[in-house]
Amino acid sequence: MDIQLAWLCLTLPLLGVLATPLLARVGTTVMTYGAVFFSFLTALSAVMMLPLLFTADVLPLESKILWLSTPITVTFGVLLDPLSIIVANVVAVISFFIMVYCIGYMKGDPAIMRFWMLMNAFIGSMLLLVLADNLIILFIGWKLVGLCSYGLIGFYYRDERKYWIGGPEPNAYDKPSACGVKAFIVTSVGDMLMLGGILIVYFYSRTFNILELYQTAPQWFPLMAETPWLIVLVSILLIAGPVGKSAQFPLHEWLPEAMSGPGPVSALIHAATMVKSGVFLIARFIPIFYYGYWTAGVEEAMYFFLIVAWIGAITAFLAASQGLVALELKKVLAYSTVSQIGFMMLAMGVAGFSQELLVKGYMAGTFHLVSHAMFKACLFLCAGTVIHAVHSIYIHEMGALRKFLPFTWLFMGLATLSLIGVPPLPGFWSKEAVLVATLESQHYLLFTVVIVTVVFTAFYSTRYFGMIFHGQASDHLRKETDKPHHHVGEGYLPQTFACGILAVGIVTFGLLGPKAEHALYSLFNTQLVTDLGMATKTFTPVFSTSLVVALSIGSVLIGVIPAYLFYFSRTWDVNAVYERYAFIRAVHTFLWNRWYINALFNWIFVRGVMQAARAVADKIEVAVDGAINKKIPAGVFSVAALSNWFDQKAIDGVVDGTATNFQNTGSALSQMLSGKIQDYLAVAVVVAMLVGGVTWLMIR
Amino acid sequence: MMPFTLLQTILVPALVALVILLFRYRIGKKAGWVAVSGLIYTTGLLLAALVHIYHGGPVIERYTILSSPEITIHLVADGLSIAVALICNLLCLALCTYSIKYIDHRIEILYPDLDEKGQINYFTSFFYLLLPFPVGFMGVSFSADLVMMYFFLEVLTLFLFFLMAYFGYQDRVKVAVMCFIWGVFSALFFLGGVVIIYSQVGSFQMDQIHLLSGHPLAFWVILLVLIGFFAKLAIVPLHVWMPWVHAEHPTCIAGLLAVYANIAAYIIVRMLVLPLWDDFQVFGPPIMIFAVITMVYGSLLTLAQTDMKRIPACSTISQSAYSMLGIGALTAASIEGGLFFFLSHIMGKTVFFSACGLVVYTTHIRDINRLGGLATKMPITALLFLSGGMMLAGIPPFSSFAAEVVMFAGIFERGDNLGLIIGIIGLVAILLTISYAVHFTRVIFFGPLPEHLAQDDHVRDPSWIMVAPLVVIVLTSVALGLYPSLIMNLFEPVISGYLANM
Repeated sequence: MDIQLAWLCLTLPLLGVLATPLLARVGTTVMTYGAVFFSFLTALSAVMMLPLLFTADVLPLESKILWLSTPITVTFGVLLDPLSIIVANVVAVISFFIMVYCIGYMKGDPAIMRFWMLMNAFIGSMLLLVLADNLIILFIGWKLVGLCSYGLIGFYYRDERKYWIGGPEPNAYDKPSACGVKAFIVTSVGDMLMLGGILIVYFYSRTFNILELYQTAPQWFPLMAETPWLIVLVSILLIAGPVGKSAQFPLHEWLPEAMSGPGPVSALIHAATMVKSGVFLIARFIPIFYYGYWTAGVEEAMYFFLIVAWIGAITAFLAASQGLVALELKKVLAYSTVSQIGFMMLAMGVAGFSQELLVKGYMAGTFHLVSHAMFKACLFLCAGTVIHAVHSIYIHEMGALRKFLPFTWLFMGLATLSLIGVPPLPGFWSKEAVLVATLESQHYLLFTVVIVTVVFTAFYSTRYFGMIFHGQASDHLRKETDKPHHHVGEGYLPQTFACGILAVGIVTFGLLGPKAEHALYSLFNTQLVTDLGMATKTFTPVFSTSLVVALSIGSVLIGVIPAYLFYFSRTWDVNAVYERYAFIRAVHTFLWNRWYINALFNWIFVRGVMQAARAVADKIEVAVDGAINKKIPAGVFSVAALSNWFDQKAIDGVVDGTATNFQNTGSALSQMLSGKIQDYLAVAVVVAMLVGGVTWLMIR
Repeated sequence: MMPFTLLQTILVPALVALVILLFRYRIGKKAGWVAVSGLIYTTGLLLAALVHIYHGGPVIERYTILSSPEITIHLVADGLSIAVALICNLLCLALCTYSIKYIDHRIEILYPDLDEKGQINYFTSFFYLLLPFPVGFMGVSFSADLVMMYFFLEVLTLFLFFLMAYFGYQDRVKVAVMCFIWGVFSALFFLGGVVIIYSQVGSFQMDQIHLLSGHPLAFWVILLVLIGFFAKLAIVPLHVWMPWVHAEHPTCIAGLLAVYANIAAYIIVRMLVLPLWDDFQVFGPPIMIFAVITMVYGSLLTLAQTDMKRIPACSTISQSAYSMLGIGALTAASIEGGLFFFLSHIMGKTVFFSACGLVVYTTHIRDINRLGGLATKMPITALLFLSGGMMLAGIPPFSSFAAEVVMFAGIFERGDNLGLIIGIIGLVAILLTISYAVHFTRVIFFGPLPEHLAQDDHVRDPSWIMVAPLVVIVLTSVALGLYPSLIMNLFEPVISGYLANM
């Protein structure tokens, strides 16, 4: 029965997709509750898998059917192990609460049927990705979530002015349809490279099945390592997919623009679930490369971990720094998401740095994935309510909203504290786990980067919260509240309910934080060490836990205090500081322009490709077309003209000339034919004398 | 199974064409449905043959026309040919149905001064000129004889000329002549190869070609036929006819034109790769290099287009090369994947082209810069266009995804650096397909609706007669994507089995 639950998890949302248009014929309300009901059943199926975690020795469970038998073998199946059960629950349960929120948020939208279909399609695809037992089926889920994401980011495809993001004036705006295109193309860069990596692995392993890849690694991994640099190449290719999907450097630039979708879409796809799939997939690959380095002794395998860790650290720092200056509420949260996923990647990377850290790093990455999914989903849902209430996407057009949105203030406050890393909320525990794993790896540069990022996180979190709920009301807000029957207030009940439930979940999970951490450690120890036989060593900390806690809390305070003085109490004047220091202005410009990476990529890849396309169409194609379709026919016609000339002059000339000559000769001869016998005799005598003379000379 | 099944699939459309021609004034505007009925019948026959092949092996039919000198018609349907024939026939059926409304409209625009009799004359002529296409496709698929194959290739070229000259766009006659010349060019190279084979083997039968294996002339046979078919497949630099032709022909036959070009991939496998396996090896790397250049070139060319009809034209250049990439890699998986991609591509291209046609049919605008926001008024067309784009880009659940996976697995299976490098470049090149699919969807269908389109009441999704056939193709592609074994199990005994026995 347990494995059937996994199949149910896959099929229920897809049934929801098919049922939605049918239910729409009954009525919009029936369709709405029907769509949410399917997501509820999905969540229920996922929750029913949780007891398996308490009997982890029965795991992994697998069920599969043959999908393709020739010329390559691919099965379609589901795999239940601690990682897939945990992530499937994160996806299914959070999705359900977000769907509940949507009942209120999307009320009255004319395209609501399309919305519910895409949402359920997304949930089903995401669960396919998580529960798949082999890399091709996982990749199908991977592409389908990208497709749903494309549809949901560009949900407001008519590009009405109110859905534009970017700005404010004079900065450029982005339209939803363009944002969807950007997200789909950028993530596809990683997808295609990853598919290459998967197929190269298949060539050596002859299987796509995840468990078989682990089990047969002793046969195929050394074989692959015989080709110099191939392991490094495969590492880069396999990491490219997660880098794209999880918006990590250098493929991180799509996520800020993905915020053009409806608020709950950002919560579901671009905070809680899809963007985490990269971390999930890295976790899937870890046992292979860990085996390669620590058991098979393939040196190149360490590059996998180094690349993952450094990409994570760089992304965490880079995105957090951009969050310091952003003015769009959802973009701040988007930068924050990118940054926090960097933390998860970092933890997964350091898991391979030593035999003592495998389970610790693996657990820390997954733990942060779970806690971040909860508090970031809550933050995005609250942001949706705030933006809906204020009719502005900019935090500087808010302020003093606490009295208008008291529940949202509370829920968003709890989630923000968790993001900052304030104990005992879950963000504190999971972030501390990441910090411990990084410090214990003794890569101090990585640790320094991540500590600075904690400071940035504390600063931008306090900043946006202060600018939204505290201080003075902005001019925009005053205009809104001055309107009769203004809507500056809490959203519909389902919205507040969903945010409230997530906030309760955050507090509960936070209170259970240390126990959850311990349980996860134990589960992954069973999965990686007992089941998969990874060669590990017992974790013996070099640094005391209190040092990490002190560093963590100290970093938080370094970030929170100035932000509090700037944006809560307004003791310090942020504008005065900005005006006074040229250095601050320069840094602000640099960060506001996203380190100029977006502009650079636009210049190279968008303009570059379009210019290449124009060059091909306007120059090369014109030249080739001219050469083949014009010059060759012209050449043929020239030859034809020559042939014509030859025909007229040479052939006709010879024939005509011959005829003329014969005619002339005949004419001349005819002159001789006078008809007088005497003339003929005279000629005959002359000819006879000539012939006789020549003959005589020859005989003589 | 019904007797003369394969022969019927060739003769029935020809006879239906003849009936339409002879009774055109009596049949009138029902000519389209008469043609559709004929094709439904042949589709049924092909399905019966498919079931037979699944359970019992190849279907072979031999008909002696003359005993002295011996002239026979030899038809063979195995897993490979039946899959090609069935998909081609399905596309012919879909496009024939799609054309019923389209061509009526086209005749009104092209020949506005015609009286009713004249209109019926043109209307019926479209269908009796269209039906030779299924004749040609079935003939090419099932011919076991090279001369017959040549004959059917020429049938396609000839009737393409007439259709384009009568029903195309501005420069239709000039471009029809160009297309005809390119078709003849291609067929003559093919014929050159056939003559050499006959000179050495003494037979035109396909199952005798292997006797040439190892002979020095085998190289020249392969070279000649490849040059001819590179032109048909529009491989760079022999692609220059494709944008012209696609820009001028009536959109309702665009899908058929994609099949016309791509069927060369099938013939290459049948005639060259399998029988002359060892001799073909030397051509593998150059084919892969040409293919990957064409993939990138064609995609860039597509991205630069602003004419609705040239977009899919240039896309065909790029997409045809995918099949050749698979074939050039010369592993069982790459060849099977390449041929599966050929089938997936012609389905995708039919939907993509026809969706473009729906836009042109409805708006009478070809310049995409004058379009935009059409999804508001034409949501089904938008969905079809996007589906067509995704079918080309190999996005699941469409069959092209499974085809790509199998094909690229085969390319990496070469195990050499060339396979590795070209495989990765090929995968990255798919990005360009994805890019233009979503880019053009955005430009044409998303954003605000321009005023002139918003106020035009004719701008709406066309009737179900035009939409339903495309939906059927999309669903077929999804079905094959969800269960690719349906196709791969057919290919396996012909290709993997053949290569395993070598």
